[in-house]
Amino acid sequence: MNQDDNILLPGQPVTIPNGAAPDLGGGLYLKDGVIRASLVGKLSRVGNTLTIPRPRPHPPAPESVVLGSVIRLSPLQAVISITVVDGIPLPQGEDFTGVIRVNDVRATEKDKVKLGECFRGGDVVRGIVLSLGDSRSYYVSTARNDLGVIFATSEAGATMDPVSWQEMRCPKTGKLEKRKCAKPDGL
Amino acid sequence: MTFAEDSAGPSQTSIHEASTYQRLHPRAYLEKFLEEGIRTDGRKTSDWRDVQVITGSISTAEGSALVRLGQTTVVCGVKAEIAEPALDRANHGFIAPNLDLPALCSPKFKPGPPSEESQILSDRLNDILITSKALDPTSLCIRPGKAVWTIYLDAICINYDGNVLDAALLAMVAALRNTRLPAASYNEETNKTTCTRQNSVPLQLRNTPYICSFGLFDLTHLLSDPTSFEEPLLDTTISIVLDQTGQVVSVLQEGLAAVASENSNQILRRCIEFAKQRLIILTPKIEQR
Amino acid sequence: MAQITSFDRRRVNGPDDSFPPIFSDEDQPGSSSSSPLQRESRKPKDIRPIFLQTGLITQANGSAYIETGNSKVVCAVYGPRQAKNTSYSEKGKLNVEVKFAPFASQRRKVPNRDAEDRSLAVLIHQAIVPSVRLELFPKSSMDVFLTVIENDGIQSCGTAGTIAASAALADAGIEMLGLVVSCAGSVMSNGEIWLDPTTRELEHSRASLTLSCMPALGLITNVSQTGQVTPQEAIQCMDACEERCSDIHMVVASALHKNQSAL
Repeated sequence: MNQDDNILLPGQPVTIPNGAAPDLGGGLYLKDGVIRASLVGKLSRVGNTLTIPRPRPHPPAPESVVLGSVIRLSPLQAVISITVVDGIPLPQGEDFTGVIRVNDVRATEKDKVKLGECFRGGDVVRGIVLSLGDSRSYYVSTARNDLGVIFATSEAGATMDPVSWQEMRCPKTGKLEKRKCAKPDGL
Repeated sequence: MTFAEDSAGPSQTSIHEASTYQRLHPRAYLEKFLEEGIRTDGRKTSDWRDVQVITGSISTAEGSALVRLGQTTVVCGVKAEIAEPALDRANHGFIAPNLDLPALCSPKFKPGPPSEESQILSDRLNDILITSKALDPTSLCIRPGKAVWTIYLDAICINYDGNVLDAALLAMVAALRNTRLPAASYNEETNKTTCTRQNSVPLQLRNTPYICSFGLFDLTHLLSDPTSFEEPLLDTTISIVLDQTGQVVSVLQEGLAAVASENSNQILRRCIEFAKQRLIILTPKIEQR
Repeated sequence: MAQITSFDRRRVNGPDDSFPPIFSDEDQPGSSSSSPLQRESRKPKDIRPIFLQTGLITQANGSAYIETGNSKVVCAVYGPRQAKNTSYSEKGKLNVEVKFAPFASQRRKVPNRDAEDRSLAVLIHQAIVPSVRLELFPKSSMDVFLTVIENDGIQSCGTAGTIAASAALADAGIEMLGLVVSCAGSVMSNGEIWLDPTTRELEHSRASLTLSCMPALGLITNVSQTGQVTPQEAIQCMDACEERCSDIHMVVASALHKNQSAL
């Protein structure tokens, strides 16, 4: 009946290749002893996990790596508007709200963190989702070397370059500004 | 992240990287493209998107049209009803054009009453239809002082991918040209208007207005027919309304073009020139019908 | 004459009051209601051909356009998006909204007053909500917007809407147990069961029944019945609808396949 037998449809039973029973990942479910697809797509196997990958935007979940820009700062927390989840940008206007609490900014010397010296409004931050948080926002952490500010503009309006994990330099004026920087990929 | 490698391949990852950059730095993304002389969808700055007009597919409407301008889609239907004319205009019919931008067409819009944008566009479309004298209101008269036709011209955006104004006017004009009104007669004794299904007459348009919209990015790049990605980044939008002979009916400008400089005159002249060229493409889409 | 003024300052208004045309030569074929009822162009258990295409609304996360005969419905799915102004919820929320284009029916629908159809929205919501794996979308909401472009049989707007909504959800990559399809039938005044009735045919119907199901799982998600029927007639009608649903399922499957391989 199908033009392309490899594409599964929601509800369609999945025949499991011989061997050990695989773990079920996203896009599949088990009901009444039958494994079925719950997405449109092709079956893919990563290790022992069977999934139907979904390259569509999806909401953040714990462990998701997210990008977002800082929209509000207070001494206790930075509020970010999450625009990219697991490398997939969300559609315009479909952002999720995330919160970086002062304790989740960095791994060490947590009690000495001053949020104003870590983020500024408009900075683009890479973080990891800790938990679903409260009704309004997701809790996000930047407490890892590769997490933190990845893009910021200086007071003079230029894009700054990171010089250390807590400072960035403005190429126009040469002035240093304090940020909790993410370690650039190349280093 | 992790699953990107296996089935999708590296190209998928780089697509996501590009779209991530586009999402985070839209202005810089567009600038990079324009430096190369092209736009994010591969068009040159002066290129228009393909336009497609389908008329008469809705049988519950007296006239209808579907317009696709690139991905932007607008459907328009005409409902004709009978009303008493206004006292001071005894032989004038009514025309009520509206553009609906429902939550269906874009994440920009939320359910509820018409958004500000749809109110502005509806008003503008109404102005264009009036100033271009597209429809003679006296041609809608059934019996002076007693009965006239009301033309409800409802356009609905189905997919909002920029330049909805151009698509909506095209859909409205095509729907009007597709409209047939039933033959109507007014009975003095019963004070009632009755129609017959046997006979119908096409609506007569005096003029056919066309609109061509442009956006000015960074005050230097003039983009024809902007998309929904480009629209929020524009400093200025300029719309030229022409009639079927290429006469300029009106010019709409939003935002500051380089007003002070003599540049602005040049930009406007270029817009009008481009609009006249565009008319050659648009006219047959409408007039064949 | 009590009038509701239709003035709306957010729209371009026509006159205060207007009426649809009255025809002196009202209706040739259908009005012969005295003659024995017979279906004109198809058999009683036939449905009108279905045209379905997904992914047309590029601004939406998922979408579908469906035509069954003259009935035309367009559907867009947005989300999962952050649920606004609601308390924390472990399960996702599914919202359905149905609007009629003003020109979709014989009589014009005035926006704001009668263009929204809650009952149709509830029907479609009930039909598709058992299929969506809402437990996977905490704190999120999914919005399903439908616009009826043309209505030729109100039941067919519900069934087409349900089919389009389920196809659009699949297109949006929202996890579900199975695709939902839907079929409607009417018990006519002569006792026959006609599937997928048109507006004109509904004038002679005694009762109508809409059935929605997931053919892949053999489960019914919703049955909605109005009018007067005997239990036997209702069961007959359900059987006829369910049988047709597996055909409709094929149409949806091939539309999704077509769109997937076009990517």
